[in-house]
Amino acid sequence: MIDTMSTVPVANQSKITQYIQPHKGYILRKSLNVSMLVLTGLMSLIALVLLFWIIGYVILRGSQSINLAFLTQTPRPMGMEGGGVLHAIEGTIILSLLASLFAIPPGILAAFYAAYHPNTLLGISVRLGTDVLAGVPSVVIGIFGYALVVQRAGHYSALAGGIVLAIIMLPTIIRTTEEMIKLVPNLLREGSLALGSPEWRTAIKVTLPAALNGIITGFMLGIARAAGETAPLLFTALGNDRFEIGRLLRLGLKSNQPLLTVLNNIIQQPVDSLPLTLYKYTQQPFPERVNQSWGVALVLIVLVLVTNLVTRLWVQYRSAKIQGL
Amino acid sequence: MNLTLVQTVNMNIRKNPFTTLGMTVVDESPVTLALQQSKMEVSNFTVYYNKFRALADISVMMPANKITAIIGPSGCGKSTLLRSLNRMNDLVPKFHIEGKINLDGQNIYAPGVDVVDVRRRVGMVFQRPNPFPMSIFDNVAYGPRLYGIYNRNVLSEIVERSLKQAALWDEVIDKLNQSGMALSGGQQQRLCIARALAVEPEVILMDEPASALDPISTLKIEELMQSLKEIITIVIVTHNMQQAARVSDFTAFMMINEQRAGTIVEFGPTTQIFINPAHKQTEDYVTGRFG
Repeated sequence: MIDTMSTVPVANQSKITQYIQPHKGYILRKSLNVSMLVLTGLMSLIALVLLFWIIGYVILRGSQSINLAFLTQTPRPMGMEGGGVLHAIEGTIILSLLASLFAIPPGILAAFYAAYHPNTLLGISVRLGTDVLAGVPSVVIGIFGYALVVQRAGHYSALAGGIVLAIIMLPTIIRTTEEMIKLVPNLLREGSLALGSPEWRTAIKVTLPAALNGIITGFMLGIARAAGETAPLLFTALGNDRFEIGRLLRLGLKSNQPLLTVLNNIIQQPVDSLPLTLYKYTQQPFPERVNQSWGVALVLIVLVLVTNLVTRLWVQYRSAKIQGL
Repeated sequence: MNLTLVQTVNMNIRKNPFTTLGMTVVDESPVTLALQQSKMEVSNFTVYYNKFRALADISVMMPANKITAIIGPSGCGKSTLLRSLNRMNDLVPKFHIEGKINLDGQNIYAPGVDVVDVRRRVGMVFQRPNPFPMSIFDNVAYGPRLYGIYNRNVLSEIVERSLKQAALWDEVIDKLNQSGMALSGGQQQRLCIARALAVEPEVILMDEPASALDPISTLKIEELMQSLKEIITIVIVTHNMQQAARVSDFTAFMMINEQRAGTIVEFGPTTQIFINPAHKQTEDYVTGRFG
């Protein structure tokens, strides 16, 4: 093959074909290609196996301690069988809600500023600041929360935990929201402004809805990260075996307190969260507690997974509706 | 390029459109009458982006209830001029102007003028259809709601009227609650026209409104423009000279001068620009010899 090609008179060839020798090193190229394909495929497989191994093992061990009581009761005293982790489930939900409440509105506003004024001093600082904040170890943010909220208030509380988790969520929310806002075509914005709409109204009515799907995905990433945090909560939410929203609500309403006071009482309590409970249970000398910690892990995974799945389905439904499918 | 001559032509054209062009003056001709009723009037208008002069000393006018086309090669400042007419260029950082643009005799760049009011009176339709990510009804009702109309019955009336004016009503009558993005490209563009019409503008600016559409949709848009000029004044920027010749009553031909700033070479009735242009450059351009 190589010989026949080289016998073609040079005059009939273009400049480039003189230099290209077909099939030179073909075997080498082919084998390199195949080996790289095998290598990348193998590594993907290993990553996948690890993921399913973790989930599978947690399901295997965790499902043994999961039953109705586990999900609806607070813990029994140490060394006793039975009891559940309702306190931790409720605590995780409360902490996530508080964190979202504190992180999402300012996050969106900051993202709009950074997206609309990328080259101002403040815009550049926001981007740099969020990148730095995203790299700060969460335990450091926990200490900060301890000094700022817990020490001043004089007690551990869900509120302090929510604030700390909000700080942890903030970088993710600002950066994803900013990127999504930048992806909205400028033409849409101009279309609204050309009708005489002020910039703020355009942002709320046109830009935000157009970017919402991506923004919500960013929220979910942030919430999932916050829901899995342990270290900062040790300094802020502390943990509370007896935490039960239902009981607190009943007590409060029975004594005719206004709803806001009752809610305030709830978030002023120290609370547990699933990761925190997991961490504490694995350190206990009682085997039923260690077994229960697998159940806690399973509940945590399922909770995050279900929230993610529901949001994804909703986002898909929403974009299909906008696209008119 | 003989700038001074162009300016003289533009300055004199209102009083006596044809004397300077060496033609017979018939004061009662439709052209003369139209030129005496200008809706918008650009005079000695210069645009700077930072220090770069994008438009130099533009003087031109848009007769009321007529279609004025702005033609010219790429980069000659057609869109800049168009976007100056409803102050969309205000959004560009370091944009500033000299001269003035009058709307019904009032300078829209005068201090104290409300940009929102200018943009309500001078609507805009863009090159690519840009329906908002909401229902057809909400797309059209977006403008009226902006100006404080929330009554559902009133909104319904406005939406119906606007969609009828945009010749889209029959096609969307049973899917007003569906997303505007589900429509075809041509329907989307007519939806955008309906959206602009909903705030009852006096002028509509169209920036190559049919360049992203197929021939049938283009034809519909052009027919629509003809029916719309009964109620409003239309200014259209187009690359398509056949389109300018077909739809417009008046044509302004723009080119960049030696300093790379856009200028008006010639302005006049479309038939004159296309059949008997006064300038060699205009003739070269409309006959396709360059640009």
